[in-house]
Amino acid sequence: MNFAWLERLCSCGGISGREDAVRGLIISLLPQDAAHETDPLGNLIVTKPGAARGGKRVMLCAHMDEVGLIVTEVTGDGFLRFAHVGGIDRRAYLGKAVLVGRRALPGVIGLKPTHLVEGDQKKAVPPQESLAIDIGAASKEEAQALVSLGDAVSFAPGFVRFGEGFIKSKAIDDRFGCLVLLELLHEALPYDLTAVFSCQEEIGGAAGAAAYRLAPDAAVVVETTTASDLPGFSGAERVCSLGGGAVVPFMDGGAVYPFHLYARTMALARERGIPVQTKTKIAGGNDARAVSASRAGIPVVAVSLPCRSLHSPSTVMLESDAEAVYALVRALWEDLSA
Amino acid sequence: MRELFALLEALCAAPGVSGTEDGAAALAAEELARFCRVRCDALGSVIGTREGRGAHLLLDAHLDQIGMVVTGVEDGGFLRVAKCGCMDLRVLAGQEVLVHGSETLFGVIPAQAPHLSEKDEEAPDWDALCVDIGCTRERAQRLIPLGSRVRLRPAVRRLGKTRLTSPALDNRAGVAAVLRCLELLQGEETCPLTVLFSVQEETGGVGARAGGFAVAPEEALVVDVSFAQGVGVSSGEAQGLLGGGTMIGVAPGLDLEISDRLFGLAKEHGIAHQTEIMGGRSGTNADFLQGAGRGIPCGLLSIPLRNMHTGAELAALTDIEATAQLLAAYARERGRLG
Repeated sequence: MNFAWLERLCSCGGISGREDAVRGLIISLLPQDAAHETDPLGNLIVTKPGAARGGKRVMLCAHMDEVGLIVTEVTGDGFLRFAHVGGIDRRAYLGKAVLVGRRALPGVIGLKPTHLVEGDQKKAVPPQESLAIDIGAASKEEAQALVSLGDAVSFAPGFVRFGEGFIKSKAIDDRFGCLVLLELLHEALPYDLTAVFSCQEEIGGAAGAAAYRLAPDAAVVVETTTASDLPGFSGAERVCSLGGGAVVPFMDGGAVYPFHLYARTMALARERGIPVQTKTKIAGGNDARAVSASRAGIPVVAVSLPCRSLHSPSTVMLESDAEAVYALVRALWEDLSA
Repeated sequence: MRELFALLEALCAAPGVSGTEDGAAALAAEELARFCRVRCDALGSVIGTREGRGAHLLLDAHLDQIGMVVTGVEDGGFLRVAKCGCMDLRVLAGQEVLVHGSETLFGVIPAQAPHLSEKDEEAPDWDALCVDIGCTRERAQRLIPLGSRVRLRPAVRRLGKTRLTSPALDNRAGVAAVLRCLELLQGEETCPLTVLFSVQEETGGVGARAGGFAVAPEEALVVDVSFAQGVGVSSGEAQGLLGGGTMIGVAPGLDLEISDRLFGLAKEHGIAHQTEIMGGRSGTNADFLQGAGRGIPCGLLSIPLRNMHTGAELAALTDIEATAQLLAAYARERGRLG
C-alpha cells in the first residue's frame, strides 16, 4: 500500500467537525476520473465509473475525523483548558505534545512533577479539569492573541515505521480507512464505485446523512479497531491481534452486524486466502451504527485494521494487516456489487 | 559556539541515561574543548580546566538524564523495563522511546484504548508496562541485551519566542548554561576554573562525588534545574517563575557567602534572578559535592523548569542565558579578587 500517502493523511490535523484539511488532502489525491461532492455536513462523496454498473449499489465508508481536544478556556496564566473530542483515555496525552488551532501552535500537556506528589498519589492521574495545555505563553493576553476558544487541538504528528513492518502514528483511526478507499479509487474497477469519506464519526457520526442521500443496497465500513495483544492479556481479553489479518466483527459496542454478511465476509476471506480474524470483545463502534439505521435500514459489514493504542498519539499497526484489509475490502466490494 | 537553541537541540538529542552517558559526554566534551583542555574521568564524567588566578572554582552540571532499563523480553518481543532515575509513571502510556541496545531501536509504550479501559484514574505500574519494538522475541533478544537503557524519544520544540520543550532539559539546560558561560569568558581573566559535566546524578550523585574529590576545588557552583510554577503547581509548591531569571539557592547545606555574592553580582550587573529557599538538602549535586574530599563550599543556580522528569519538560531560553551570565560574572569577580 501507499504508506507515504498514509503518512500525509495521518499527519494532517482533523478532529471531529474540523475535517476541512483532511478533506482537502483527499480531494487532491483523487484520480482524474472520480467525481466528488461535499454534503451539507461535510461528508465527501466520491464516485468513479467502472466497466459496468453492478447489480447492487455498495457504499464504502471511512471516516476522516480523529479524536482530539478543543480549547474551552484561557486561564489567567495563559494556559489552555480543554475538553475531549471523542473517546480519549487521558493517560495517553499526559506529558505529550499537541498542536493548537489553525496555526498549529505547538504546546504540551504537562503535570505536577512526580517529586511534588505524595507517595500514595504517585500513580494517580490528575482529573481532566485540572489539566491544561502550555503553549509557552507568558500571560493570558499573549495566549489570547494566538488562540481562540473552540480552537481544535490534535496530537502532534509523529509517523514512524519501525521494527519488522510496523507503523506508529496518531490518527491511523481512520486515515487508514481513507487510504483504502483512495487506493481503490485509483484502480481499474469492474463496477461503479461510491466512496464516502465521512465526518464526526468519533462523536456519533454524520455518515447516516450520506447513506440517506445515496440509498445504497449495502455498505462496507473500513475502519480500525482495538487490539490488546500485549503481555498480561490472554484469550478473549486480547480482542484481536496484530499479524492476525483483517478484523471482521459480528457485533461491537455500536452495531450488531447481519450475521449472513459477517459469515459471507469470513468465508470470502478464507476462500481467497486473506488472513482474517474476528473481535473477541464486544467493544467500540463505528459508522455502521448510523449507516445501518439510515432510511429503511441498510445492511452493513465492517472490515477493520487491528491497532494497538487506538485513540492515542501512538497508535501502532502492522503493514501486512493493512494489505489484508485492502485485499478483503476489494474482494468483498466486488462480491457484494456483482 | 552554536546559538543557544541549536546547542540545546543537539544536547537534548544526545543519549545519556544514567550510567550510559557516552553519547552526551562526547558531544559535551566536543563543545567544551572549544574553550579549555578536556579529559574524561574513570566514571565517564567530562572535566575541562582553564587557568586563572585566585580561588579554584568548580562549575558542575550533571550530564545524565532519567530513563528506563530493560529487565526482560516477553513473547512478541515486548520489553519489560524498570526505572533508571525518578521516572514519572504517569506519562509513559503512549510514550515514544529509543532503546539503546546493540542498535538504537524505536519503540512505543502501549496505551490502553478507552474502549477497553473502564477507569483511567490510575497509571499502570511498572509490572504492567512494556515497550513495543515491533519485532520477534528472538530478534529482540539478539539486539537488546538486558540492562540496555531506554530513553524518551527526543523532540525539541520551540514554544513562542523564548521557551522550549524537550525531554532531557534536566539537565542539558544546565550543561548549555555552563558552555555558554565559558563562551562569554573567552579571552577574559578569571579565577582558575574547572568544569565538571558529571554522570549519574539521577541515580545518586556518584559522578559529582568522585569528580569533586579529584578536582578538589576551593568552592563550587552547581547548575541544575528546579521546579517552576505551572499547571497544577502553585506558588506554595514551587518557588520558580518560568522566565523570572536564574534561581539563586539558599539552603542550610549551601554556603551563605557564595549565595550572598551571587545575589550581589546579579543586582550589580542587572541579571534576572529569583530566590529559591530550601529547608534541607537541595536535591542536586550540591548535596554530594559538599562532602567530597575535604569538603567543598557550594552555591547553587537553578534553571526553572516545568513538568520535570516527563517528555514535556519546558524551560525559558532567557533563564538559561541569565544563569550563564551570572556564572560568568562570578568567575570574573573571583579572578579579580584573586
